[in-house]
Amino acid sequence: MLKLDNITVQFGGLTAVNGVALAIGAEEVVGLVGPNGAGKTTLFNVISGLVKSTGGEATFNGADVLKAPMYKRARMGIGRTFQIPQPMHELTVRQNLQVAQRFGTGSVNREKIDEILYFLHLDDKAERDAATDLSLSELKALEVGKALATAPQLLLLDEVLAGLETASKRSFMKTLGVLHQTYRISILIIEHDIETISTLCPRVCVLNHGQLIADGTPQGVFSNPEVIRSYTGGGHD
Amino acid sequence: MKQRTQIVILLVALYVVLPFLLKGNTYVMSILVASLTIAGVALAWALLGNLGGMVSFGHAAFFGVGSYISAIVTMKLGVPIFAAILMGGFGATIASIAVLPALRLSGPYFALAILAYAHIFKILATEFTSVTGGAGGLLGIPPLPTLLGFNFGSKLGAYLVIITIILVFAFIYARIRGSYYGFALRAMHESEDATRVVGVNSTLLKALMLFLSAFMTGVVGAFNAHYINFLEPDYAFHIGWTMLPLVAAIFGGYRTLSGPLIGAVVVYTVDQLVFKSLIPSGHQIMLGVLLGIIILFAPDGLIPLLKKTVRRVRQTGKCRPPQTDATC
Amino acid sequence: MIELILQSLYSGLLSGGSYALIALGLALVFGTMKIINLAHGEMVLLAAYMAYLMESKLTLSPILAIPLALVVSCLVAVAIYFLLSRISKNRELNSLILTFGIGIILTNAILIIWSADIHSTSSPGFQEPVVLGPLFSMRSELGFFGVSIVLVAALWWWLSRSWYGRALRAVSSNRDAAKLMGINPHRTEVVSFVVAGILASFAGVALYCTSVIQPSLGSSLTSKAFIITVLAGIGSIPGVLVGAILIGIAEAMTVTLYSSALQELTSMVLFLLVLFVLPNGLFGAAGRRG
Repeated sequence: MLKLDNITVQFGGLTAVNGVALAIGAEEVVGLVGPNGAGKTTLFNVISGLVKSTGGEATFNGADVLKAPMYKRARMGIGRTFQIPQPMHELTVRQNLQVAQRFGTGSVNREKIDEILYFLHLDDKAERDAATDLSLSELKALEVGKALATAPQLLLLDEVLAGLETASKRSFMKTLGVLHQTYRISILIIEHDIETISTLCPRVCVLNHGQLIADGTPQGVFSNPEVIRSYTGGGHD
Repeated sequence: MKQRTQIVILLVALYVVLPFLLKGNTYVMSILVASLTIAGVALAWALLGNLGGMVSFGHAAFFGVGSYISAIVTMKLGVPIFAAILMGGFGATIASIAVLPALRLSGPYFALAILAYAHIFKILATEFTSVTGGAGGLLGIPPLPTLLGFNFGSKLGAYLVIITIILVFAFIYARIRGSYYGFALRAMHESEDATRVVGVNSTLLKALMLFLSAFMTGVVGAFNAHYINFLEPDYAFHIGWTMLPLVAAIFGGYRTLSGPLIGAVVVYTVDQLVFKSLIPSGHQIMLGVLLGIIILFAPDGLIPLLKKTVRRVRQTGKCRPPQTDATC
Repeated sequence: MIELILQSLYSGLLSGGSYALIALGLALVFGTMKIINLAHGEMVLLAAYMAYLMESKLTLSPILAIPLALVVSCLVAVAIYFLLSRISKNRELNSLILTFGIGIILTNAILIIWSADIHSTSSPGFQEPVVLGPLFSMRSELGFFGVSIVLVAALWWWLSRSWYGRALRAVSSNRDAAKLMGINPHRTEVVSFVVAGILASFAGVALYCTSVIQPSLGSSLTSKAFIITVLAGIGSIPGVLVGAILIGIAEAMTVTLYSSALQELTSMVLFLLVLFVLPNGLFGAAGRRG
């Protein structure tokens, strides 16, 4: 479905992403891990259009992703969340989802919005002001909700579980499983916690210094000596 | 239902009661028409500010272009006046296409880039003497016509025309604001990336708001040309056509629909009747003071402030029975 | 023809130098606080009126007005800073609107006090011609240019060498981090406003000695200063000089080759071109504007 080939991003002299090649199939759930500054979020930014790549190619269902403007990528079926939640200001939770649905899919479907709100446990908060009246876990849920409302085939989740306490993290993980089952979407998720990622993802990719250094099952990847080295001292910052 | 009743009362007041009461008083009528002209531009300015998220220092450009185009097509091509006024609006929209590159600039840069455009348009109007009459101006612009036996060229007629223009624009504004486009536009202020990533073509939406705002300003400028019957570049592109609507909209509250309109009528009337008689030359100093006070003490403007106060007073009344001390 | 072009290059160079002094204060405040002071031109103009006051009321040389102009400009600058610091939300845009309002106040205050008449210096010494080979200028123009170069150089030296300069840069690049380093951002910012006031007062007095003043001049001084700041790129002091001279020469060439009516058009078009083509200006550090 999504195919990245030799993606490279340079900021001035710094190479944030270096020749990454990656393919994600339909309904796959893939974890993206790596030390801080490894280029994970930058890779998300390239796919969703916030950052321009300096080299490489990306296709989504055969169509060129990198040439499409940001808003078109949402309509192609790529949804994403932000690590720091970015609710749409001045709107209620429901309006956030409505805008995402209207512009991301081109049509309006109220039942679908209700369903998403229900899945994410936001149904009783639907009329709250999204920017001011939500807790962190609710904001993270709204991030996922906005992305889901665009009816994506691929969901890019940037640390949606980070910063949550154990209980809400567990329930959020369950929700993600349900969403994956119900909507039959592919998920690429950035997450630091190895236990979480091992439970959630049958496949894990590791980035270090902008390069993809491992790709495989959690057991295989986390016993890979290069991966262990990158976590114990290879990462910068 | 309640809202519908309010609208009917408002329409009766504006179209029947007010004209009936003021019909004989040409002075008050002319102040009213002039203040509504400012209100029209203020509404267009606020549309761009509230929905497009862009503060403009250059609406005089659209006002001037609209007024010149309407004057020229009536005088040189004999186009009927109401059609010409619409053409003035479209002309301003076409002029705003030149401003499109400025849309990718952020807040202050956009505000000042559009100021540069206003300067450029003014210089062009002065230099294209063959079309615009140059610095000497255009004299004898045809007045609003008599239609169906009613003379729109009278003060009362001009009032009915401008109030209709404003109500139509306010209706369009309200419809957009309540639509999904309005939601997306309002959200774009603080969270542009968040809207783009869910599929909102923010550049296109902003451009549409710019076009619409320019159109509205151009129409009001065109109306004014036929009301005043005279144009010169220094008048048509005067910074005052930016400054007064800006002060009015911010005074009333530019994120509300009624704020710019009420603000314009209040600010213009007070400026003309009070400030001007106190300080004949330099009375605009009070507009500067007003702007400063609003930005510092009520940055949301007067209408939101009043609403908040009313709500607070009501709540205090509900929660606590009247007390002896003056807490309200 | 060659002589005409040489002369207009020379005049452009001189007037560009004076534009630099007018723009310098605005560029400094913009560089440190990311605030465009739309009342800057009015500050310069107010100083020019101090020179007029000195000459007309006390029949003294307008140059002696510099101390008075310094006091007035700095007071106005501090007042503007004080008001700006009280803005509670949406600082970027509200500061623009607030200083726009202050500009209206100053313009009209000048209008009320001194009427709309045009004034220029009556001391003949300033208009005396200075001939350099084929090139001609007024004595006051050369003086303005000289003062401008000296002050640009002084400001540059001060910003790059002094502790304050470093503090100013720290505050402008990261206000919170500067706070942690023990720098009081309010103090550094008020200093940049005062320095802008000092520069404005020299610019104003020089302006009165070389050219004509009237109340409505303030806003066009501001827009010229802003154009130069954009041309220079945020935070570049030498850039201000180069940008100003570029504008000066472009204007002078337009006047020589086309018509004086298009003079203002040149700088506006140059401004828009730079905004769209070189978003960081000629010398600006990388920064995001769009």
